Amino acid sequence: MTVFHFFNCAILTFGPHAVYYSATPLSEYDTIGTSVKAAVVYLGTTLVKLICLATFLKVPENDSFDPYQELLKALIGFIDVAGLYFALTQLMHRNISQNHKFQAVGLGWAFADSVLHRLAPLWVGARGLEFTWEYIFQGIEANANLVLNLSLAALGSLMWLRKNKPRTLIPIIYACAGVLATMPSITSYLRRALGWHPPKVVAFELASSLVMAFISWQLFSACQRPSI
Amino acid sequence: MAGRWSGGGGGGEVVGSIYSVLALVLILVACVELGDAATAVDVYRLIQYDLSGAPYGSRLAGLNHHAGAAPFAPGADLSRTVVILPVRELNLTFLQEYITSKQPLGGLLLLLPQDIRHKSAGGNKSRNVGLLRSILSELEQLLIHVNLPYPVYFAYEDDKINAVLADYPVYFAYEDDKINAVLADVRRGDASGQPATATTGGYKLVVSTPEPRKASSPTITNIQGWLPGLVGDGTTQLPTIAVVASYDTFGAAPALSVGSDSNGSGVVALLEIARLFSRLYSSPKTRGRYNLLFGLTSGGPYNYNGTMKWLRSFDQRLRESIEYAICLNSVGSWNNELWLHVSKPPENVYIKQVYESFSEVAKELGVSVGIKHKKINISNPRVAWEHEQFSRVRVTAVTLSELSVAPELLQSTGGLYDTRHIVDETAIHRSIKLVAESLVRHIYGYEGKNIQIFADNSSLAVNPSYVKSWLDLLSRTPRVAPFLSKNDPIISALKKELSDHTDEVHLQHESIDGMFNFYDSTQATLNIYQVASVTFDLLLLLALGSYLILLFSFLVITTRVVLRMISRDDG
Repeated sequence: MTVFHFFNCAILTFGPHAVYYSATPLSEYDTIGTSVKAAVVYLGTTLVKLICLATFLKVPENDSFDPYQELLKALIGFIDVAGLYFALTQLMHRNISQNHKFQAVGLGWAFADSVLHRLAPLWVGARGLEFTWEYIFQGIEANANLVLNLSLAALGSLMWLRKNKPRTLIPIIYACAGVLATMPSITSYLRRALGWHPPKVVAFELASSLVMAFISWQLFSACQRPSI
Repeated sequence: MAGRWSGGGGGGEVVGSIYSVLALVLILVACVELGDAATAVDVYRLIQYDLSGAPYGSRLAGLNHHAGAAPFAPGADLSRTVVILPVRELNLTFLQEYITSKQPLGGLLLLLPQDIRHKSAGGNKSRNVGLLRSILSELEQLLIHVNLPYPVYFAYEDDKINAVLADYPVYFAYEDDKINAVLADVRRGDASGQPATATTGGYKLVVSTPEPRKASSPTITNIQGWLPGLVGDGTTQLPTIAVVASYDTFGAAPALSVGSDSNGSGVVALLEIARLFSRLYSSPKTRGRYNLLFGLTSGGPYNYNGTMKWLRSFDQRLRESIEYAICLNSVGSWNNELWLHVSKPPENVYIKQVYESFSEVAKELGVSVGIKHKKINISNPRVAWEHEQFSRVRVTAVTLSELSVAPELLQSTGGLYDTRHIVDETAIHRSIKLVAESLVRHIYGYEGKNIQIFADNSSLAVNPSYVKSWLDLLSRTPRVAPFLSKNDPIISALKKELSDHTDEVHLQHESIDGMFNFYDSTQATLNIYQVASVTFDLLLLLALGSYLILLFSFLVITTRVVLRMISRDDG
């Protein structure tokens, strides 16, 4: 029964990535190489991030919220953006369209994130006798994260790959990307400083990621129209 | 090189290596034993013993079932349910019914109220405590005299039961509230009409402990101290007075049987009397012409088996020199009346003498001492009082006790309710004074004179802090003889204390006579898991499946169909 629960949570956590890959044209164009490369870049980025965190951050004695430390953490979080930039622009891709490239990169990015952050706790925790909602929430969080990463990758591809975009939209694109990049810090703030309980935090993450995805999609299609 | 890297073959290699690393990590993680105890609670198992071959008590130790709480629907199958019963609201007839009808239970978890562990504040609780005491002793007698083919455990209730019982969400409950939270939750589940094992999941209680094994040749240890009198004027053999108390206990939960009153109070009184007389005997001027023999005997609950073996080990001369023996039994919670239990008729010269000296001192202390005569039946193996063992070897002996009637086998032996808070220190003081004064009058021949040797505030006064500290120590230490090793800390402590006050202290190790067999694993840790039922996981799987299918269709429609339509329009 508990292994059953583990499988359920694993499906919730990793299923959407697979579904996304197979349902969208990504599978038609065989973009798995791009995703894997993005995942490798994610690994490297995380390593750099870890080193930065270990160098610049104090070990918190208690679980309280320290604004200065959190600011530093948010700044270090922007390393992610740098990693994404590298994955989108510097890596050699087989000639797939920009449209598919950002999706493949975002997917690989989100999948690597899920594997790295969620697989081990899931394996250790969800197989136990004790039932908690934690792993189900974690799975939903993984879904929100996928949406978030795809939006960020979409905006990234707009910022760095697309040359001719409407001038008026540029500040909006940068603002949205900024919001997306600080999203992890925002949720951490909600969880730790405001003491929100997991269901609320997860609901917020889900809602915010959907809203951001909608905005990003609108921006993306708005940029696409004049170019054609 | 870069070209190779970006090629499809290179991607495949990378994927392959990632998979192998992943597999390695998974194998490593799988090897790590999961210590996923959600909540751990200390539990104490009901005693398991054989009495002349017949099994009694809880016969199993391992537990792995769902929790359930009363009331149950009549005829409900509880063979896979751990029934949680708070003793505070225990319905004894319900339990009795279950036991007598031999209905199988998955297990039984009895929640003891905290009151019996801590001294309750305020006087209005004392009646409650009295009621609780009678319930607990009844429960104890019920449980130790039946054979229960399932595990039975005791645990303490937590403090904040009321807060928890009032719809307090379990999710945010404090860790140490868990057991009450569980109870409240289980109740809520039951009240809503669904059994805990169906769709709601509920709680699983797990005690993983090895099968209880027979305790190998349990020993009982008697401790003896000797205070020699002043030999002089040509007399070679001084008469001896023995002061005896049995120190071990027996109760439904061996790990909780501290026996503060039975017979911690007697032990404390004996130690204090030994201390007082050692001060008197330390100077030759005040040393009496009596030897004093102090005995802390074991095996009290088992017909004073240890006392019998101790007496048998005496040589003839010593046994004959004993003028009389005073056995102290439960002298810590009386108000105004103590009883002197004898097995010779009260008209007997020696008995009369002892009784008179006691009642004389009692009058001065403003208490009364009654006398109770109970003949011994040699053919009956039951020995109700410790002095009866002395009487069987023809030594005059009396038992001083607050109990007016002889207890049955395994009754009043320091069980569940017999904890520190029921013992009154002033009662012990008065008992000590009573015994010490009457002894001193007998030894120095002051009978009939109103002289207080151990008057308060004198240098020979009863020391309240000494009494208190020993009482506290004994009230913390379970002392069920089969589970005490030969050099258990409490035995060493008693030996050391007696050797501080008396000479020639020695231990006597004996084995309990074959009638009793005991089984170990008296204490365990109960893990409480909140579990989801299979139904929940099935529903979850169903929901997830439909979610993924919906997502798939949504993505197909938005990305392929819509985009293709757009591009067709554009084209």
